[in-house]
Amino acid sequence: MEKKPGKKEFRLPSDLAEVQKASAKVLEFLKPLSLGEGCLFDVRLCLEEALINAMKYGNRLKKEIPVRLEVEVDGGELRLTVEDQGEGFDVARLKDCTKKDNLLRNSGRGVYLIHQLMDRVQYNSKGNCLVMAKKLPSHAGKH
Amino acid sequence: MVVKSFEKDGVTVFQVDGEINISTSPELKKQYEKLSAKKLVVDLEKVNYIDSSGLATLVEILKKTKSQGGSLGLAGMSEKVRSLFEITKLDKLFSIFPSQQEAVTRVK
Repeated sequence: MEKKPGKKEFRLPSDLAEVQKASAKVLEFLKPLSLGEGCLFDVRLCLEEALINAMKYGNRLKKEIPVRLEVEVDGGELRLTVEDQGEGFDVARLKDCTKKDNLLRNSGRGVYLIHQLMDRVQYNSKGNCLVMAKKLPSHAGKH
Repeated sequence: MVVKSFEKDGVTVFQVDGEINISTSPELKKQYEKLSAKKLVVDLEKVNYIDSSGLATLVEILKKTKSQGGSLGLAGMSEKVRSLFEITKLDKLFSIFPSQQEAVTRVK
């Protein structure tokens, strides 16, 4: 029998203490899919990196400004949407953190990891809403 | 995260247990600043999760150790943690060893 967790939405205060609580809720929501440890690690890491960026750089850690998080499983992929209310972010302006001259700099690594670990990453035109998707293994959710 | 520190053959060893993330990495940095070891091995065998702030903290520790003429070795990474070092090319920056003992031998 195939299990479909469907869709769930959260609104989180821009407080870094909420990041791990939110990722734990998302992983709990995904439990019926019986995803492997490696896949769950990637999902958790990318989600936490995206939430931290949204809270810190988007909403400037103003607790009263929420970050919208949506998790959806559909068409064999898992989609995570993270939206802040900031002015937006231009990913093209980030320096390549893997270039020799940038290795010692501590910026852009979280976004780089998201791009590497997810199968599809997309920002809206304003740059304040990130959608990241990971293809699910064919056995996900089947018993 | 718990950091146990001890001396082994003249090298300071940090044995980290748990997650190095945005909440815990300041503690790792604090421990390093308190001891300011010139020869250091950070044993990551019991680290099951690390995020970009954890990676950044290790980069900061590396920079400070090198600026003091010291050396730093990382040891015992799980396959998943190691893959993050490889993806971000930080494996080119750090000296990474399979075990704590090997790291201590090379760092001392």
